[in-house]
Amino acid sequence: MILALETSCDDTCAAVVTRDARVLANVISSQEVHDAYGGVVPEIASRHHLELMNLVVDDALARAGATLDDIEAVAVTRGPGLTGALLVGLATAKAIAVARGLPLIPVDHLQGHVAANFLHGDAGPPLEPPFVCLVASGGHSFVARVDDHHSFTVLGRTLDDAAGEALDKGARLLGLPFPGGPHIERVAADGDPAAFAFPLAHGVPGLDMSFAGLKTSLLYTVRDLDAAGGAGAAARTADLAASYQQAVVDQLARRVERALEQTGLDRLAIGGGVAANGPLRERLGTCASVVHVPARALCTDNAAMIGAAALHQPSADPADVPALDVYATDRRAL
Amino acid sequence: MIVLGLDTATGDTAVGLLSDTDGLELALRRRHEPDPGARPGHAEQLLALAGDVLHEASLTWGAVDRIAVGLGPGTFTGLRIGVATGRALAQASGAGLAGVSTLQALAEGAGHDGPVLACVDARRGELFVGAWDGTRVLLAPQAVAPDALAALVAATDGLAETALAVGDGAVRHRADVERAASVPADDDPRHHVDGLAVCRLARYAPETPREALVPDYVRRPDAVRTADREAAARA
Ligand SMILES: [Zn+2]
Repeated sequence: MILALETSCDDTCAAVVTRDARVLANVISSQEVHDAYGGVVPEIASRHHLELMNLVVDDALARAGATLDDIEAVAVTRGPGLTGALLVGLATAKAIAVARGLPLIPVDHLQGHVAANFLHGDAGPPLEPPFVCLVASGGHSFVARVDDHHSFTVLGRTLDDAAGEALDKGARLLGLPFPGGPHIERVAADGDPAAFAFPLAHGVPGLDMSFAGLKTSLLYTVRDLDAAGGAGAAARTADLAASYQQAVVDQLARRVERALEQTGLDRLAIGGGVAANGPLRERLGTCASVVHVPARALCTDNAAMIGAAALHQPSADPADVPALDVYATDRRAL
Repeated sequence: MIVLGLDTATGDTAVGLLSDTDGLELALRRRHEPDPGARPGHAEQLLALAGDVLHEASLTWGAVDRIAVGLGPGTFTGLRIGVATGRALAQASGAGLAGVSTLQALAEGAGHDGPVLACVDARRGELFVGAWDGTRVLLAPQAVAPDALAALVAATDGLAETALAVGDGAVRHRADVERAASVPADDDPRHHVDGLAVCRLARYAPETPREALVPDYVRRPDAVRTADREAAARA
């Protein structure tokens, strides 16, 4: 079995995954401390990762009914993400691997999101390639074509904010707490998604996305409503939230529909925190003959997906392990 | 006892291996110094240097009784690499842990008979300082503006002008530090943390429980809570 670690953003995660892609433990320690700052503060995230990492590893092993003696390899997220946060997970994984003489498998975080679909889970058996995969979270938003278990081809990606980031920023403009997605969804349930027309980034070519204009448009709408007197934007929060969410969902869904059309594939997987969004799941639920959405704990950042990716990646040359470093930015974007 | 020492609080990566076990007396050290202007090599160097001293001593990771970690103060990211590595090595090998002050390791490594003022560059125009006379603490670790150092030293019992000041901070802010203590030449090795000094301090220190092994950041993170930001905007 594989011990996997993930610390690319604000969740401290460890998991134990078997060779046949079953999750024995998937521990996610969320740092709710960031909610008070309206976003993730890198230095605070790094400090918490350091305090929690070994306990989270102990917990994952205990839940799996295993000890380090049962572990055959250590997998870890190498990037992209917050450098200081990634370093805690990588330093921990390297030290465990070296001290135990175990192979180390460095994993790309985005490949991890794709590989969440290769696990046995509540959503059923693993989804076999080829398929189209949408990953939308607070940190990334892309549509990819997945033809095998160890790589993917990006068909389109956001040119600015991530979808989850757009929801966070929208929530802040509407006076809703962080993280924004769940709060917008809750408030939007009582609103009219057609009340306001927010931009859908029609000008963005191909399958790329853009959410920055959407946030600006919401800012001006709120300002205009407040300037008009009366109860202002606060009286229209439900309609604003519903229309804003609709614009995010619509943009993501259109890219997915176009990707399915272009590739001729009829199988879709959805991942990332935004995959938990009800209206998005509803909208995409019928656009392919197979729509695979892993359980929520496998969609948001987690270590089981890193273990899943590791099942299909080579381990690093032992001589290179001590010197292994993290990378902060998406290598595919370079 | 076989002690492996790690320190990543400064730009250097320092490692030491100390054994006073019968029939296995050894004292090995390694240090990586980044080229001028280059980033510290902590992530790439630490485990490699540690593996190196073990290899030279023909020891396995399982033979290490205690892992000593310099807790700073110093660069936040460097400290976390050191502590995360030390903790995970202990978790994987069963070795015990002991945290030591990087400033005290600098003072210890100076091998000076008398008070030593250790100065680590804290960036943002500040120094992390602490002073010891042997094992006696004269000045507890703290951040200070270089031009306030002389007054701080003058007001500290036992830290007369006979003190020796070492560390990258003493080099960087030499003019200010020299008003408080004597500073060896820039290229003097005493300005660098010695992995063996980390081992020596940890040898007789009490064991630190794993979860209590945390960096001595001295500074709080720069972050403003939304509520504070909004209060500031309203004011
Ligand atoms: Zn992610």
